Amino acid sequence: MATLTKAQAKAITDTLLGAAMAPELVVSVRDRSHGHVRFARNQPTTEGDVETLTISVTASIGGRSATAVGNRSDKASLLALVTEAEELAALSPVDPEHLPPVGSGTYLDVPGHDKATARLGAKDRAEHLQQALTAAEAATVELAGFLQHHEQSAAVATSAGAFGFQASTAASLTTTCRTLGADPGSGWAGIESHRIASIDTGGITALAGEKADISRSPKSLDPGDYLVILEPQAVAELLEFLVDALDARAADEGRSWLSHPDGGTRVGESLFHTSITLRADPADRANPAAAFTDTGEAHKIVPFIVDGVVENLVRSRYWADKTGIPAIPRPSSVLLDGSDVDLLELVRAVDRAVLVTRFWYNRSLDPRTILATGLTRDGTFLVEQGKITTAVNNFRYNDSPVKMLRNAVALGRPQRVVTRGGTVMVVPPIVVKEFHFASRSDAI
Amino acid sequence: MMPAMSTSRRSFLRTTGLAAGAGLLWPSWAQADPPGSRTPAPVKPPSSADLALLSASPLLNDELLAKRAIEAAQRAGASYADARLVAWRRERVSVRDDHVSDVHRSSEYGLGLRVIADGAWGFAATPRLDPKSIDGLAKRAVSAAKINATLRRERVELAPLAAISGSWVAPHRVDPWTISPKHKAELLISATTSALAIAGVAHASALVDSQREEKLFLSSEGARVHQLMVRVRPQLSATAVDRRRGQFASRDHEIAPMLAGWEHVEDAKLVDDAAQIGEDAVRKLHAAPVEPGERTVILDPSNLWLTIHESIGHPTELDRALGLEANFAGTSFLDPAKTGAYELGNELANFVADRTQPGGLATCAWDDDGVGTERWQLVKAGKLVDWQTTRDQAHWIRDKTGDERGHACSYADSYSSVAFQRMPNISLTPGREGYTTEDLINATDDGILISGRGSWSIDQQRYNFQFSGQYFWEIKHGRLTKPLRDVAYQANTVDFWRSMDMLGGEGSFRLGGSFGDGKGEPGQSNAVSHGCPPARFRVNVVSTAGGKG
Repeated sequence: MATLTKAQAKAITDTLLGAAMAPELVVSVRDRSHGHVRFARNQPTTEGDVETLTISVTASIGGRSATAVGNRSDKASLLALVTEAEELAALSPVDPEHLPPVGSGTYLDVPGHDKATARLGAKDRAEHLQQALTAAEAATVELAGFLQHHEQSAAVATSAGAFGFQASTAASLTTTCRTLGADPGSGWAGIESHRIASIDTGGITALAGEKADISRSPKSLDPGDYLVILEPQAVAELLEFLVDALDARAADEGRSWLSHPDGGTRVGESLFHTSITLRADPADRANPAAAFTDTGEAHKIVPFIVDGVVENLVRSRYWADKTGIPAIPRPSSVLLDGSDVDLLELVRAVDRAVLVTRFWYNRSLDPRTILATGLTRDGTFLVEQGKITTAVNNFRYNDSPVKMLRNAVALGRPQRVVTRGGTVMVVPPIVVKEFHFASRSDAI
Repeated sequence: MMPAMSTSRRSFLRTTGLAAGAGLLWPSWAQADPPGSRTPAPVKPPSSADLALLSASPLLNDELLAKRAIEAAQRAGASYADARLVAWRRERVSVRDDHVSDVHRSSEYGLGLRVIADGAWGFAATPRLDPKSIDGLAKRAVSAAKINATLRRERVELAPLAAISGSWVAPHRVDPWTISPKHKAELLISATTSALAIAGVAHASALVDSQREEKLFLSSEGARVHQLMVRVRPQLSATAVDRRRGQFASRDHEIAPMLAGWEHVEDAKLVDDAAQIGEDAVRKLHAAPVEPGERTVILDPSNLWLTIHESIGHPTELDRALGLEANFAGTSFLDPAKTGAYELGNELANFVADRTQPGGLATCAWDDDGVGTERWQLVKAGKLVDWQTTRDQAHWIRDKTGDERGHACSYADSYSSVAFQRMPNISLTPGREGYTTEDLINATDDGILISGRGSWSIDQQRYNFQFSGQYFWEIKHGRLTKPLRDVAYQANTVDFWRSMDMLGGEGSFRLGGSFGDGKGEPGQSNAVSHGCPPARFRVNVVSTAGGKG
């Protein structure tokens, strides 16, 4: 089911803007056609083809604002939605932090729509699943996983003249292979792209199968500080806490790790290893991301950390207005630069390290240090003299992405990881010294 | 080992010297939870509120389309089909310091069609409710099921079920949508400004989330179930900042979300409690750091509910134990083959699952398979005796538990989501001795009292967990001595429940809960409550303070 064209989306935003009595209106439309298949115990379990539509209207009258969201696009429903937003706004208290909507401007041109991905259906999914089943059978492992794809049209428009439209596609595959019986092992691999052609289902499944196989008979290793090789998925899971903390207002208000004890923030300070450069680039050709926010702010190319120095923080429009520094929305893409070194070359370069495939159940422990906790999962190995020698038990870590980027010893080749939130993340594997595993986990 | 009760509640208050000077030592939050929510569940769901609320429902206008979807699916070759018309309304009113920060309402309405063809599931959903769209939906769902059937190794097996026709409205006194956002915001701002009035408090925020979930379920077997659930979640938080020392601390109110109307927000008396929330935030800022090591902890219901959710709730999901969730949520340390034999706790550990608990967020009268909800024992005197199941899972465990039609745990969080096994309310049965929180404190020579929800994390098989809280009191010689900070407790699930040596009585039973129990791919969110008394454990206490950055 094709999603809205630019003209169809604009017809909806025009109808909404045209119906407004309120002096200020911000509207957005997101139309998505989504397909998925889940599989476990070597067979498909549930699947679906699902259409969703989200139409959002924020009306403001004299600093009183409210948002109404609906999922029907007929004219009567659109008019009712505008009325609801206006009535709610009139009933709401004045927000002293209210700002007028974003005006007209330009958005990055992001070519992120792939026709082959947009056309996928149940038959294509079954073909991919068949490849996964074949690879799992060859590896004599039990297969579980999830394949999903979508086509999306997103539009935003404001009463101040902004209009943006972006068509996009996405596909992702994750697989967990397990060896069963008396000597269980579990391995995970996943991939995400805007192009289905980039999803090598057989290869991904084989990798998960291989990891399951070598994760059997884990050697018992005590908790403590270790040299670790974090694969990109693990790096991204920890890095998200740091991205969340890159907020100018919290830093200015003393509620953040980035707050300076003497007032102000730590922007401009060298806080990480000099090899660390973190940036946003929604127009990256291989990894396209959203070009604008639901309120019409442009996602731009932003250097957040350059050579270990914090250069920019996320800044709401209100806080930008108050501080006189340009606004930067929360990024739609996060790119952590690396090198051209393959993961296995990193492995070959270390004497003794723990290799971590991914983390699980990551939660913030202390915003003062961005300390987080979570567990290793689905492939935790010991590297000795440049070789993976054995699986080890899983660990709970209590550590911080700040320390990860400060204690980085070597960075590998960046790769796109799987996220559940919609932010595009491309990060390298990193060798990190003195990473803290706090306790053991018996989970496999 | 059960320690002797040492002193009464009155002597506890007298012996805690801080009580008079520092305001309330131990919060007696002014919460009046929904009727029935403070006693363990009955067997049947609470009586329906006014069914007239359903008679004017717009969903009825589309009932013929739902029937059309089922008939079209059957014509296309489905052996079973069900259609759910689901309408959600959500509202959030949030405030920060002295002003409103967000007034947000959303509605979502559509039809989800689930089919079985050639022994495999198929699903399709749309918000576009017209005959052409519905016919296309039925063809897509059946065609996808048939394609998947070629890759299935075993056929989907639905337990036999008599078709039910019924209606139910969750008990509530005041529909949250009848209260204006302005009134809501003003109430919240009264609370945040009283918290801000406390010296040292830099920021305060508050919000109320309201949910109205209505669904009409029809099946090819003739079932017709119409239900309406109303849920609310009030929240209040204060942050104290000590700029000079580069320190800050936040304190959240411990009020639980409930299956209830606006009355639960009024009864929560956030404004009355706000000053204490502010004072607690400041005290937390200056609290003593915790000494890590093996310790005795008393977990208040406002903390223990989440530990139950993670360490008992998730591992007793049958689909997890069988590997169906291996790729995301994980599996389970519990083995269905050991049902009836495996001991995961001592004789005090009794857990009951139910979707009938008054006030419980997962409470309803029928699940999303059309199966009537009920109450059943999961863990009896420490022994695993049963599982969370749905209609299509009952056959996997019937030989162990006699499960005839599944335990009505099916739920889908939207018209656009596939129904699958989700967690019912699961509660720890109170002790027979009738102990209070104060009795537990008095009986503890050296320990920590932990209340509220902090950080939480547990592995994918539910062995190793680490939980924090909102507020921590050091206990010495049966008395609360001083507040602590940066406390988390880490344990292995089985060691933890085997270490439970004292728990409160029925009078101390409280529900806690969450709107956001996550599971499945694509991810779905389930609202669920857990009731428990306070209880005492041995754990590994860790400090979450980290090194200075």
